[in-house]
Amino acid sequence: MSSYYLINLLIYAAVDGMACLGLSQQFGVGGVTNFGFIIFQAAGGYTAAILAMPPDSANGGFQSYIGGWNLPFPVPWIGAAVVGGLIALPFTFLVGRRLRGDFAAVGLLVTAVLLNLLATNFVPAFNGDAGLSLIPQPLQGEFIPQSSGYQWGFTAVALLLCAGVYVFLRRITESPYGRSLRAMRDNDAVADSLGKNVLSLRTGMLVLGGAIAGLSGGVLVSYITTWSPAAWGYAETVVLFAAVIIGGTGNHRGALLGAVLVPVGFEEVTRFIPTSNNLPPNLIPSLEWVAIGLLILVFLWFRPQGVLPERKRVIALPAEHSPTVAIGERPAAAVSAGQARPVVLEAVSLVRDFGGVRAVDGVSLAVRQGTLTGLIGPNGAGKSTLLAILAGTLPASSGTVVYRGQDITAMPAFRRARLGLVRTFQLASEFKRLTVMENLLSAVPANRGDSLRGAIAGKRYWKADEAAAIARAQAVLARFGLESLANDYAGDLSGGQRRLVEIMRALMAEPGMLLLDEPMAGVHPHLARLIGNELVALCREGMTILMVEHELAIMDEFCDPVAVMADGRLLAEGTMAELRRRSEVVEAYLAG
Amino acid sequence: MALFAASVGFGLVTASVLAIAAIGFTLQFGVTDVLNLAYGAIMIAGAFVAYVVNQAGLSVWVGLLAAIAACSLGSVLVNAGVYAPFQRRGTSAITMVIVSLGMTLIIEFGVEAVAGGTSVSYTMGQGRTFHVAGLILTTVQLVIIAVSLAVMAGVHTLLRYTKLGKAMRATAANKMLARNCGIRTGRVITVTWALTGALSGLAGVVFAMDSGSFNPTSTDIFLVLILAAVFLGGPGQAYGAMLGAAVIGIATEVSAAFIAPDYKYVVAFVALLVMLGLRPTGLLGTPA
Repeated sequence: MSSYYLINLLIYAAVDGMACLGLSQQFGVGGVTNFGFIIFQAAGGYTAAILAMPPDSANGGFQSYIGGWNLPFPVPWIGAAVVGGLIALPFTFLVGRRLRGDFAAVGLLVTAVLLNLLATNFVPAFNGDAGLSLIPQPLQGEFIPQSSGYQWGFTAVALLLCAGVYVFLRRITESPYGRSLRAMRDNDAVADSLGKNVLSLRTGMLVLGGAIAGLSGGVLVSYITTWSPAAWGYAETVVLFAAVIIGGTGNHRGALLGAVLVPVGFEEVTRFIPTSNNLPPNLIPSLEWVAIGLLILVFLWFRPQGVLPERKRVIALPAEHSPTVAIGERPAAAVSAGQARPVVLEAVSLVRDFGGVRAVDGVSLAVRQGTLTGLIGPNGAGKSTLLAILAGTLPASSGTVVYRGQDITAMPAFRRARLGLVRTFQLASEFKRLTVMENLLSAVPANRGDSLRGAIAGKRYWKADEAAAIARAQAVLARFGLESLANDYAGDLSGGQRRLVEIMRALMAEPGMLLLDEPMAGVHPHLARLIGNELVALCREGMTILMVEHELAIMDEFCDPVAVMADGRLLAEGTMAELRRRSEVVEAYLAG
Repeated sequence: MALFAASVGFGLVTASVLAIAAIGFTLQFGVTDVLNLAYGAIMIAGAFVAYVVNQAGLSVWVGLLAAIAACSLGSVLVNAGVYAPFQRRGTSAITMVIVSLGMTLIIEFGVEAVAGGTSVSYTMGQGRTFHVAGLILTTVQLVIIAVSLAVMAGVHTLLRYTKLGKAMRATAANKMLARNCGIRTGRVITVTWALTGALSGLAGVVFAMDSGSFNPTSTDIFLVLILAAVFLGGPGQAYGAMLGAAVIGIATEVSAAFIAPDYKYVVAFVALLVMLGLRPTGLLGTPA
């Protein structure tokens, strides 16, 4: 094996490794399916080229491009990363919460196809189909690029960069910010309801992944000294996806393994297939693509977690802990019984239309401090819709929502959660691939490590916050008797345990008020009673809860007051005893 | 003015081809819930089936029938062998898209492995040239427009007046509810694959006729037009796809005449991104 061959192999491994790491961060950790990933690599490559090249009148002006700034190393590589990150910004409008993930992915795929077409056709900026050549290599004035010393030096720098990217991404992924990313990946609507700004998290992933892709493109172009649109087709993104899926989605080491197995491995294996004149010239490359398609299907079917599955983050519980950690937002402000309690949440004439159906029809409701207010009604009464409007999951068609004196009608869900208004969902909504402990920790607000900057600052910066959060989570787990499951994946729990995790997680968000959507549905009666008693105890400590339920027995036992909904309207409000005496309430239930 | 009329003529043909493809795509997605990005690859596979028949000395119109049959069968098999098993496992929508991209590579480059990477053309006459209301169209182009109108009328009749069409609409609206109402949704979905697969075969061959020469990767860009037409009208909406195809088809060809031929797809692309960003349910869909 010649050293040239080995150098070539190592540099390609480093370049593909970086690209796969970037994609692993975006897709595996953040759940952002960027089918346009290759554009970012191409843009980085182009940027590095035009920063390093002389003006396009050089070499007889045989190729045309923008710029030609003749800048010294390492400016072209830095520029590649910066541009790779910046061009992510226009795409952020595709990844907001409004658009389905698969539609956003299609938008990015189409963008990749179209930008490639444009680059191929636009001669003034990209020199068209021919692309750019004679791209200067780093420091080629100071050294001789053909020498083996230079080549090995280049190799070492490329490998070091790849290792640096790995260490950097690991630091981010293993931080509280990384945990928020994984929570969003598992369930974005729930992450939103717990105060995570999904748009900002996704933007962070697009920019970060784009910068890494750009850097890898810059390194590649400096090595091969050419840049051509034909090399950056949409299908190249599929190759990188194949690498990440095969290596192990959500595991950065898996991404590196995938890079070696798929893009590098395929290139190398086909070298050893004897070429024969009888074969059509396109046969081997075509079959390579077919094989990559097959590999994706086979892995997704037989081993969706990849060769190196995502690691479980086990968090050791401190042996001793103080049982006096407060669970709610702030300790009870000694609420006295009676009607003088202040109103915490007020809905005024709320309306919500779905097409022609008016699901919520002018509901006004006031929930007072320290009460466990029940909301009952037959199926289709609009209870869950009302809860969703109050929490900000759905916008109201008209009406206002006031929380602690502040009009929050136009406020997105994550901001309401940050104010202390936290909801749970009717359907199981645990973050499946996070442990119970991580589910709880993911909801903790104001952790210093729960931002890109905090994550980059490193563990020393957020260690204290994390330790406090773990202690609090342990206290909550102890209260609900689930300590032994702390390090189990939430997705592996029983239905009842998952409901508990959800309630505990909502408590970790330091709520001032909880909106619970049938927290006891499908839960063993014994567990339902435990939940009910805990909720009553929480309210005694000062928590305010609005709970949707349609089991009358639960209402009887735990809720006071109770509001009744039917056909989108609020029928009545009062204690269960009062409501039972009112004929229209009884009718609504019997007729519904 | 003559340039405008000519470009509208081209636009009508492109819109006709696009309508056939987009109706198939949107019905497939609406009823089966698979965002099948391999649709373009299946189209081009159909175009090559017709090419093989054509090369054997038969008329390309016989090849067209063969392509319809092959793509119909192929789509049913791809669903039964790949998509349906993944769906039964509860695979997420996004993973299904990755699966369909994998299928795209397998089919598209499978065709390339067999057919080679060079461009080919059908052996066929273009027929007489007609001047209709200032537009200049060949017999073949007129036939394509007629076929497309027939497909639209057929789909309209199917959805509006037949039991199968109603079952398809019910399945698209709510699969679980449709099943509980006694609709055999499994069978409806299989029939939908057969039907939309047939449309993809038809679309593939008329696309190849319209482009003159084609190769195994020719539908990569055309898929963008299909997606633009589908999302403009609203994914899953058959009438939306007809509207979207008309708008995108004519807009691309007119912009090709007046801006630059190389950038004609930009219109479709911008339309698609704007719809995704602002109103992903499409012009004819209800806003979320």
